[in-house]
Amino acid sequence: MLFLLIAGVIGYGIGLGLDTLIMKSVRYSAPVPSAFALLFAFTAFFFGIYGYRGITRGLVYQIIGTLVGGLVVTGIRGLMGLSLFGGFFFTEPAWVFGGIAGAVSFLFGVGVMSDWVKWARGMDTPEHHEDEPGWEKYFDVSLDHKVIGIQYTVTALFLISVGGLFALIFRTELAASGLQFLNVGMSLFGQNGPQLYNTLMSLHGMIMIVSILLGISGIINYAVPLLLGAQDMAFPRMNAFAYWVSVPASVLLLMSLVLGGFDTGWTGYPPLSAKAPVGMQMFFLGVFVAGWSSILGALNVIATVLRMRAKGMTAWRLPIFVWAAVATSIIALTATQLIGLSFQLVMFQRLLGMGFFDPAKGGNPVLFQHLFWFYSHPAVYVFVLPGLGVISELLPVFARKPLFGYRWVAMSSLGIALVGFLVWAHHMFTSGMNEYLRVPFMYSTLLVAVPTGVKFFSWVATLWKGKIETPTPMLFVLGAVLVFLFGGLTGPPNATVSVDLHLHDTYFIVGHFHDTIFGGFVFPFFAAIYYWYPKATGRRMNEFWGKVHFWLMTPSFLILTFGMMRIGLLGMRRRIADYDPALGFDFTHLILTICAFGIATSVLIFFINFFHSIKHGEKAEGNLWNSRSPEWQVPSPMPAHNYDVPFEVVGEPYDYGLPGSKYVEFVGEKSKH
Amino acid sequence: MRHFVIVGILVIAMAVLTYFGLNAAGLMPEAASLQAGPIDWLWNLEVMVISFLFALIIVPMFYSLIVFRRKKGDMTDGEHIEGNARLEITWTVIPLFMVAIFAYLGAGNLAETRRIDPDAMVVKVTGIQWSWKFEYPEYGVVSDELHAPVGRQVLLQMTSTDVIHSFWVPEFRVKQDLVPGRTTELRITPTVIGDYKVRCAELCGTSHAYMEKPVIISSQADFDTWMSGQVALAAEAAQTPEGRGQALVAANGCAACHSIDGSAGIGPTWRGVAGSQVALSDGTTVTATDDYLYSSIKAPQSQIVAGFEGQQMPVYGFSDEQIADIVAYIKTLR
Amino acid sequence: MTHTQDKKSMLSQGVFIFGYLAVLTVLEFFVAVTFEAIALLIVVALVKAALVVYYYMHIYKLNAEHEGDHNSYEYKSGTNRIGLWLFLISDSFVFGGLLVMRMNLLGLTRPNLNPTLGLAVTSILLISSFFMNRGETMMSNGDRKGFLNNTLITFLLGLGFLIGVVAVEWRLAAHEGLTPSSGAAGAAFYMMTGMHAFHVLTGLIFLAIVWFNGRRGLYDEKHYPVEAAAVYWHFVDVVWIFFYPALYLIGTVIL
Ligand code: HEA
Ligand code: HEA
Ligand code: HEC
Ligand code: CUA
Ligand SMILES: [Cu+2]
Repeated sequence: MLFLLIAGVIGYGIGLGLDTLIMKSVRYSAPVPSAFALLFAFTAFFFGIYGYRGITRGLVYQIIGTLVGGLVVTGIRGLMGLSLFGGFFFTEPAWVFGGIAGAVSFLFGVGVMSDWVKWARGMDTPEHHEDEPGWEKYFDVSLDHKVIGIQYTVTALFLISVGGLFALIFRTELAASGLQFLNVGMSLFGQNGPQLYNTLMSLHGMIMIVSILLGISGIINYAVPLLLGAQDMAFPRMNAFAYWVSVPASVLLLMSLVLGGFDTGWTGYPPLSAKAPVGMQMFFLGVFVAGWSSILGALNVIATVLRMRAKGMTAWRLPIFVWAAVATSIIALTATQLIGLSFQLVMFQRLLGMGFFDPAKGGNPVLFQHLFWFYSHPAVYVFVLPGLGVISELLPVFARKPLFGYRWVAMSSLGIALVGFLVWAHHMFTSGMNEYLRVPFMYSTLLVAVPTGVKFFSWVATLWKGKIETPTPMLFVLGAVLVFLFGGLTGPPNATVSVDLHLHDTYFIVGHFHDTIFGGFVFPFFAAIYYWYPKATGRRMNEFWGKVHFWLMTPSFLILTFGMMRIGLLGMRRRIADYDPALGFDFTHLILTICAFGIATSVLIFFINFFHSIKHGEKAEGNLWNSRSPEWQVPSPMPAHNYDVPFEVVGEPYDYGLPGSKYVEFVGEKSKH
Repeated sequence: MRHFVIVGILVIAMAVLTYFGLNAAGLMPEAASLQAGPIDWLWNLEVMVISFLFALIIVPMFYSLIVFRRKKGDMTDGEHIEGNARLEITWTVIPLFMVAIFAYLGAGNLAETRRIDPDAMVVKVTGIQWSWKFEYPEYGVVSDELHAPVGRQVLLQMTSTDVIHSFWVPEFRVKQDLVPGRTTELRITPTVIGDYKVRCAELCGTSHAYMEKPVIISSQADFDTWMSGQVALAAEAAQTPEGRGQALVAANGCAACHSIDGSAGIGPTWRGVAGSQVALSDGTTVTATDDYLYSSIKAPQSQIVAGFEGQQMPVYGFSDEQIADIVAYIKTLR
Repeated sequence: MTHTQDKKSMLSQGVFIFGYLAVLTVLEFFVAVTFEAIALLIVVALVKAALVVYYYMHIYKLNAEHEGDHNSYEYKSGTNRIGLWLFLISDSFVFGGLLVMRMNLLGLTRPNLNPTLGLAVTSILLISSFFMNRGETMMSNGDRKGFLNNTLITFLLGLGFLIGVVAVEWRLAAHEGLTPSSGAAGAAFYMMTGMHAFHVLTGLIFLAIVWFNGRRGLYDEKHYPVEAAAVYWHFVDVVWIFFYPALYLIGTVIL
């Protein structure tokens, strides 16, 4: 542990050395060396624990790629007689190209491309790569969906901490009116005051969203092949690619913080985003690259569900979580392209002066919002559908009762996904779009309440007359239902246009979406981790600390969002670094900040529990939760190629309480692996 | 059966409690416009329905948790109930009706907030990073405050010179974005005399939080007094270049970035700038002559003051005479 | 017409389909020149796209049943086919978004472009699809030489298209004052053709890869990669079937 620290410090030292070196020759570049310092520290950290392999090599390649890419463009600019250096060392086109080159270099460096390169050169590759046992495989390219699932999950947890840390910083600033420490006096990476607030707030939003996308990919990757009885995903290499592409994406996102930041919120509306500093481009690029992770992951899920099911697993016998994963993937596969496109258009507007959203050139700023929300609304259902799937999957296990109305719940996921495509303009009721569009979008938005309601009523009916146990995963499931209910029920007021004219861009909305996101993602995510952790490690997490986590997080969170909604209604706008003391919100904001720290503490407890239990947790090798699901019928941790003996589906998935019924039966000979 | 009766009673009790609890807490700010009426009415209805739905789900859930929890040592499973199509249809169709009703009410409600009064007073609103400019074409007055008489509809015709802003006075409820390159409209009929603030509700860059200006609703008589005062002031100011310059500065919101008291802001302070030595970002130093000040306003990016590289001053479409007036005004700030 | 299996009838089917496409393209051109009938143009484009999707990209293969072992090459190719189509669905949202952008910004106007050049590059791309189809058919019937020749022709035609758009059309347009920064029309034009050209470029790379590997003697048994390259190439063509009218035919000319 000490060694890691030292490695990190050395890396930081190198970065600082570079810092002073460049500082002497080039002006105004203070943020850039700190960027490299951070990158170096990062890389050195991985070098320290892991050596020059896998992720370390990827990061080194990315640094070199970024520099080379930037220098190439700078050279070309030199030949064309344009300015060579900008406010942030490189000029903007050089940074953009460098960013792309860096991301691509990372992929080659880490080694996910090597099989494909071989294929292109007409060579064959072995069907399976064997992973070495031990923890080291998690830092290198692995084709095993279980490893990738865990990689995703841990990356998501890391990003949640980073995003959460940003939230804590700006929440502290909000604790009282006036600018306390995010003021002109405090300068970080060349930004200060409200500008710094805006950057932190915007990055908080996007990093959290990326972490959600990785988090759901984590659960889906880990669980779906196991639930289907498949050996792996349909395209293992693409699966690895989809994961690894998210790492340079996160690096790019974080780079935006040091390259001048950006102050547009996660939505990046032009014309503001067309004027923001270079950090904006890194943000766009990062999201764009992360989008590919999402798209390819979704593609893989759909192909896997279509092609890799065990014998007898017909549509109506799929575990409910798989239905949710499919519904999510349909959205992620298609809609994600539109956020990529909308961000690309702004990138090109900035680079080449193309006038898509520039009214002076005949462009239309509102068009961006349409393209953006066409993805970003369905995206919110990408966040929650897997989470709702987890709820539906775990409730029967802990209520010891069949899932009430299985088919209705399955279809409601698809219903939400499909209707979700038709509602995007409800984010634009005040935007000045065509007036006659507002009422139809109000109808379609309200319609989403119907399939969501089906889920809620079915959950309640599942609990009714069950034999309910409440270990930690179940607590989080119940918390999820409660919190998502608050989030969901605050949706329809936003959807009725006239009321939204008041609510739009206030903390009421902020409260609404933290509720939906926590209820639909964060709580189920924790539930899934507590639930499948023994499957992955053979040990369970500590129950006591799990319960402490829950009982600290839930009340803090509820107070946090209720407070947000209350001040929102009374006139608190979103995305402001400071508020008018005359509004009298100081006290509420102080409480909110305290609650935010409460949540952070609970998450910290979770982290300690998580890492401590890997080695020291109580052993749990059998069917710990007494579940009917196939993955629990075999020993934990899961064997390398999943089921040694293939299974056949012979009954309904959730027939708890039906004596003698069986879901799966292991038949056939031991497979060859 | 006993369970259902108990839960039914609890649901109703919980719903009523929630609704009155929320109402007692006082959810909305004071309503000060005609448009706020229907909006608050619909909102209240929504709170009612939300309270009921909340109780409908939360009560049976907690009831099950308590009553149907696993007893110690009981290893059996729950009852084998797979579902009930009739129930499922019920809780699909009833919400469907409910949302249809809400959408219907919502559409009518929206129309009510947009009702047109032909006698409305037109005010042209321009959003500028980070200030508001209000023009009163009926009176030929420009101000950075919105004044209006109580009871008469105000038709705001809004646009922006740079990025998207949004006009919002919480007490008036309604909100509308200001989009560069197009004119959006908002109709407000103030009903309560008082001082409010317009707060920009769309993130528009660094000082978005501070993009607030007074909105003063007064009796017709007070409004007329203010207006004639403005007219007189404008006429007086128009006599001298400094006066005209000051009026332009006030109307265009330069104060959002430039202080006149020497304190630091987003842009350099104007106090004592005229004639001083200004260090530029390219390392050179120039004297702030009239020409320099002229070009800093005409083409702000041509010479950038050291320390302000990260900020962009907007380009304004002033005529040369107007700029000369502004420069004259800046020169008075010693 | 249903899909046929033996080489000869498959090849002649390719000729028929190409005939239809050619006629429709000419029809489209004259419709646009003589009278404004956007609905008709959309119908023609849809018919063309459907022909390509069904006969050249053989979407029906997605439906094929694969019995038996999940590890057989047959079964895996089926999975790969689904993967590729899913990718194409995803990608078509980009192009759909670009079309929406174009309609929103330009409406019933269009940039001032050279109509003959437009028709020429469109024909080149269409012809390349024809040869691609021949090449693929031949490989799946074991005719390596035919495959190599036809793929080479496809490649060269594709290159011709790329040059026609990027080197000639872009330069001509810029000469007329239509540059990326000149306004919404320029922005839409360069973005759409640029994004399409990027896909053509990747298609060319795939073609080069299968061509080289084919020359090395691969694909006797396992010829799915050839099919994949072909399907991708036709997809690029399908996109252009919509972009061509959107840029060259619909509406009145503005700069
Ligand atoms: C995880 C994500 C998630 C989910 C699931 C939802 C769910 C919903 N959201 Fe939310 N929303 C966001 C995340 C999410 N939202 C985010 C991130 C933003 C802000 C983006 C930004 O600007 O930064 C936002 C903003 C947002 C707006 C724009 C507000 C504004 O900026 O002005 C609107 C407006 O219509 C809206 C509506 C809804 C509705 C109607 C639902 C519905 O799906 C809810 C359905 C659920 C229920 C209704 C409860 C259960 C149902 C019943 C018990 C049945 C009976 C019910 C009835 C009859 C009503 N949301
Ligand atoms: C996954 C989604 C997600 C999550 C989990 C959160 C979590 C939190 N959010 Fe966030 N939020 C968003 C998504 C999310 N948010 C989005 C999309 C926006 C909109 C942005 C925009 O307007 O553009 C937003 C905006 C937003 C605002 C409004 C800002 C503004 O408008 O000015 C606020 C204000 O209080 C806020 C607060 C919080 C708090 C206190 C938490 C807390 O729950 C955080 C708790 C803390 C942690 C989870 C971290 C704990 C970890 C540690 C302590 C470990 C130590 C660290 C390391 C080891 C590195 N969020
Ligand atoms: C968005 C913020 C902003 C607004 C609004 C703004 N400015 Fe500026 N201004 C700046 C910044 C930043 C600089 C310094 C950088 C530069 O020189 O371009 C500046 C510089 C100047 C200077 C040169 C000052 C010096 O010290 O050399 C003048 C004169 C000036 N502005 C006039 C105006 C006038 C007149 C208006 C209103 C009509 C205005 N500004 C509005 C940001 C702003
Ligand atoms: Cu103007 Cu915010
Ligand atoms: Cu939405």
